[in-house]
Amino acid sequence: MIQPLPRLPSAVPGVLGAVLPPVLLIAGLVALWSAGAAQGWIPSFILPAPGLVAAQFTGNSEVLLRHAGATTLEALSGFAIGNIVAVAMAMLLSSVTVLREALYPYALVSRAIPIVVFTPLVVVMLGRGLPPIIAIVSFSVYFPTFLNMMRGLASPSDDHLELMHSLHASRWQRLCMVEFPAAMPYLFAALKVSASSAFIAALVTEWIGANTGLGYLVVVSGQYFQLPQLWAAIFTSAGLTLSLLGLVHLAEHLLHRYTAAAPDL
Amino acid sequence: MDGSLPDPDGMTAETAAGGLVARDVGMVYRRGREVTEALTGCSLEVPRGSWASLIGPSGCGKSTLLRIFADLVHPTSGRATLHGTTPADARANRVFALVSQQSTMLPWRRILENVELGLQVARVSPRERRRTAEEMIELVGLKGFERAYPAELSGGMRQRAAIARALTLRPRFLLMDEPFGALDEITREKLNFELLRILQETGATLLLVTHSISEAIILSDEVAVMSARPGRITKRVPIGFGRDRDRSLRDDPRFAAYEAELRHALHG
Repeated sequence: MIQPLPRLPSAVPGVLGAVLPPVLLIAGLVALWSAGAAQGWIPSFILPAPGLVAAQFTGNSEVLLRHAGATTLEALSGFAIGNIVAVAMAMLLSSVTVLREALYPYALVSRAIPIVVFTPLVVVMLGRGLPPIIAIVSFSVYFPTFLNMMRGLASPSDDHLELMHSLHASRWQRLCMVEFPAAMPYLFAALKVSASSAFIAALVTEWIGANTGLGYLVVVSGQYFQLPQLWAAIFTSAGLTLSLLGLVHLAEHLLHRYTAAAPDL
Repeated sequence: MDGSLPDPDGMTAETAAGGLVARDVGMVYRRGREVTEALTGCSLEVPRGSWASLIGPSGCGKSTLLRIFADLVHPTSGRATLHGTTPADARANRVFALVSQQSTMLPWRRILENVELGLQVARVSPRERRRTAEEMIELVGLKGFERAYPAELSGGMRQRAAIARALTLRPRFLLMDEPFGALDEITREKLNFELLRILQETGATLLLVTHSISEAIILSDEVAVMSARPGRITKRVPIGFGRDRDRSLRDDPRFAAYEAELRHALHG
């Protein structure tokens, strides 16, 4: 006898159905990891037992918090500065034709340059510590947002622009009432990318240009074979990145009337 | 004397005689060596408060002629005036409103906010623009849908909203470019008579571009027939139904006669 297939969307209905499968998967993986560590399948210098990593969050929380705080400050400052400047520049360039024609080709090309390689140079210019890291994070966040905003601001249909023209709208009114709202899906697509690239840039820059932060902690922990601390730093970095991404998704949800058509990058 | 008489409003005879006037308007598009003559020698007069339609085959330039009045394109020769002013001045003074085939609702604005757009651009106070927008929404029969988003409405309802938005600035001229072209036949005819009622209530001057002969008859005092390549006005047919038109219009024997006359003019 053939059993009826379970309904495709979800085996368990409701919110539980959305939450339960991934939670069970994680629980299963952690259990496998525990068993593996206990049986010695995985060398503990690569992946220590989950209990040892978890103990870091209780016993070593002061160190983790201090470094996480530094990384968060760098990533969030750079995220804010890079995105705000990107949006402002896109609005300026989309309004001033001469500037756009002169600068836009360079903006397109510069996207291909890996910003992180400039870290040593920026450290020489700005010294070690927060300023070079925030500068690098800002730049790495800037380009995707700038380019997406340029596309978004140019996205309104001719019909909408003709409507504003026939209403005798000023350049500024056209920007505020049509072009900027129309660019919101493009902005959020970029923000989702830059949420993770902000933390990546902060962590990588810390390897070179700082003596604090989770990126620094990862390097030092590796050098001194403090694997539980290294793994705790990795999990903290992932958690912070996911938190920022979650905030961007929340903002997108709250602004859904503008972001409903959000394309995914 | 050129026969101009004093006008009660102190206007010259030319502007008083024609709310919308086109004199020898020509339009030539140049793309590289390719030269396309879109309009040639188009003259048109739509007296204040009257209604005129432009009909003709696709690509005859009827939309171009309307877009010249709306200051969206500039004629290569001749001139177009609205109450004696250039299209650019008319636009600056917001004396006309444009309604196009697509309703051009902004998808992130509710219907009320979309209808308020023109007033917002004209910097009318929020309170005043809310009041006017609600009044116009009621006039076009959309009461109860103020808080809906455009995507939640049918095409016909969105077009009603576009008409409401056009009326908020109390324009003296309505320039409508196939406003019901994207709608089904039943909705279209319903909206034809709705617009007829609105026009009679507001007293606006209408220039309508359409490819529907019956729509042109219902909504016009004069129908101008255009021919293609180069676009010019080949025949002008006065529609003698006067005002106080209603749905019984279609049963009038003259309706069929006008229809036949226009069909012959169109297909030569």
